[in-house]
Amino acid sequence: MTLLELEHVDVFYRDLQATFDVSLTVDEGETVAIIGANGAGKSTLLRTMIGLTQCRNGRIRLAGEDVTRLRCDLLARRGVALVPEGRRLFSSLTVEENLLLAMARARKGPWTLNRVYDLFPAMKEFRSHRASDLSGGQQQMVAISRALLTNPRVLLCDELSLGLAPKVISEIYACFDGIRKEGVSIVLVEQDTVRARSASDRLYCLLKGKVRLAAKSSTVTPEAIREAYFGETRA
Amino acid sequence: MSFLPTILNGLMVGGLYGLFGLGLAFAFGIMRIVNIAHGEFIVLGAYIGASLLSVTHLPLPVVIVLVAVITFALGWALQTVMLNRMIGPNPVPAMVATMGLSIIIRNALVQYYGADIRAIDIGPLQDQGVSIFGTSIGVLPIIIFCTAVLLFVLMHLLLTRTTLGRAFRAAADDFEILETLGFNRKRVYAIAMGLAVTLSAIAGLLLAIRSSYSPYSGVERLLISFEVVIIGGIGSLRGSFLAGLFVGVVQLIGLRINPNSGPLFGHLAFFLILLAKQANLPALFLRRRT
Repeated sequence: MTLLELEHVDVFYRDLQATFDVSLTVDEGETVAIIGANGAGKSTLLRTMIGLTQCRNGRIRLAGEDVTRLRCDLLARRGVALVPEGRRLFSSLTVEENLLLAMARARKGPWTLNRVYDLFPAMKEFRSHRASDLSGGQQQMVAISRALLTNPRVLLCDELSLGLAPKVISEIYACFDGIRKEGVSIVLVEQDTVRARSASDRLYCLLKGKVRLAAKSSTVTPEAIREAYFGETRA
Repeated sequence: MSFLPTILNGLMVGGLYGLFGLGLAFAFGIMRIVNIAHGEFIVLGAYIGASLLSVTHLPLPVVIVLVAVITFALGWALQTVMLNRMIGPNPVPAMVATMGLSIIIRNALVQYYGADIRAIDIGPLQDQGVSIFGTSIGVLPIIIFCTAVLLFVLMHLLLTRTTLGRAFRAAADDFEILETLGFNRKRVYAIAMGLAVTLSAIAGLLLAIRSSYSPYSGVERLLISFEVVIIGGIGSLRGSFLAGLFVGVVQLIGLRINPNSGPLFGHLAFFLILLAKQANLPALFLRRRT
C-alpha cells in the first residue's frame, strides 16, 4: 500500500525552481533511494516531504490523506521523521537530552530509549556527553536514534554517509536491517550510488530537479544509473 | 567608614539586575529578538503591582503571582500577535516594532498614571532591619534578594529538567529540527517571550518596592539589562546573575562616593569591561615584555 505519495511537485526558492514536476511513491515498509548529483534537488524533496519547505504546485499525500499544506510539526506528529544532512544535533544538549526531546511529542510505537540503546550499544557510553563533543559517526547514531524515537511511519535520511569514514558508514548501514524489520518506510538520499542501490528496494535518480530514472534497485544496470546521473546520452 | 553595608546592598539590588538581564538574554538567545520594550515591561510590572496593591489590598506575595500571570499573558500576546510575524534572519523588524511598542507603553503610562516619580509603600516591613557581620541591613532587601535567587534556581530547573526547557535550548540551537520533532515553533516562542517578560516584570516590581520609578524609568532599566547581558554573556544563568551583582555593587559604591553620580559609575565600569573585552590584554602584556 502506498504510504507517501508526491504528485507533480514543483518547489521554488523564491524565483529559483529546485524541482520540476516530480512524482514519486513510497510503499509501506519499503526503502526507496533518491540519488543524484549535487544540486539535483534531493534534499529539497526531503524538506518538502516533512513540510520544512512548501511546494508551489503539486500534491503530497500521507497514507491517502492530503498533507500538502500541513505545517512541519504537524507532519512530524503524523509520522514523518528526518535524519538531516550534517546530523544537526542540538549541540548545547547532551545526547540523552536530544533523545528525550524526540520522545516528548512521539507517536505510540515500538521505539523506546532502551531499544535505540540496543540498536547502537556504543551510544550508552557517551549518553551524558554534549552532542557537540561527539565524532561524526557517533553523531550520526544519535541523529538516527532521535528520528526513530518519534516512532515514524516514514524515515527520511539525508546523506547518512556525509563526512564519515567508510568503516563507520558500513556500521551505520548494517543497522538498517534492524530498523526495516519494524516495518518503517525509509527514503534514502545518497550521493553514493552503489551504497544507495544495495540498500534500497527501488530508486529514483534526479537530474537538475527532474526524475530521470525510476527503477527497481535489483534489476537496474549501472549504465542506466550513470546515464541518468550525469545526463549523458550515449554517443 | 565601612563599605560593607554598601556592598551588601549592592548585592541585594544586583540580584534584580540579574533578572533584568536574564529576561533580555532569554528572548535574544532563543528567538534572536532584541526586545527594546524590555525596560517598559519592567516598569509596567511595577505599575500593575502598585495598582493591585492599592486597589485590592492583597498581600505582596499574592500580588507578585498575579503580576506574573498578567505579564506572562502580555508577553505571550506580544509574541503571538506581533513578533511571530517578524521572525526570520533579519533582527531589525522586531527591534523597530518593539521600539515603537516601548514608546506606546511609556506614553500610555504617562497618560494614565501621570509622570510623577513614585514608590510602592508596603508598610512596616520596609523599615525593619537585621544585623549581619556587625552591619545593619534591611529585611526587605534580603527577602527581595532571596526571591531573585529563587527565580534563578527555578529557571535553572526549568531549563535542565523539563521538556519545555530542553525545547527552549534546542530552539536556540536549531529551530527547524525542533519542528521536525513535532514542536510548534511559534508556541515555544510565545511561552519563551511570556517567561522573559514575566521575569523582568517581577524584578521591576521588586525594585519598585525598594526604590522609586516613573514612566520614564524604562530606558534606564533597559540600559542596565543590556549591560548585564553583555558582561554576563547570553545563555548563561550564572553569568547573568553574577553580572547583575557586579553592576549593582559598582552602582551603589559609586553613589556612596558621589551621591550625585546616579548610575554613572555602573555605566563607567561597563565601559571599562567593554574595552577590556575588545583589547586583547594578554597580547598587549606579552608584546611589552619582548
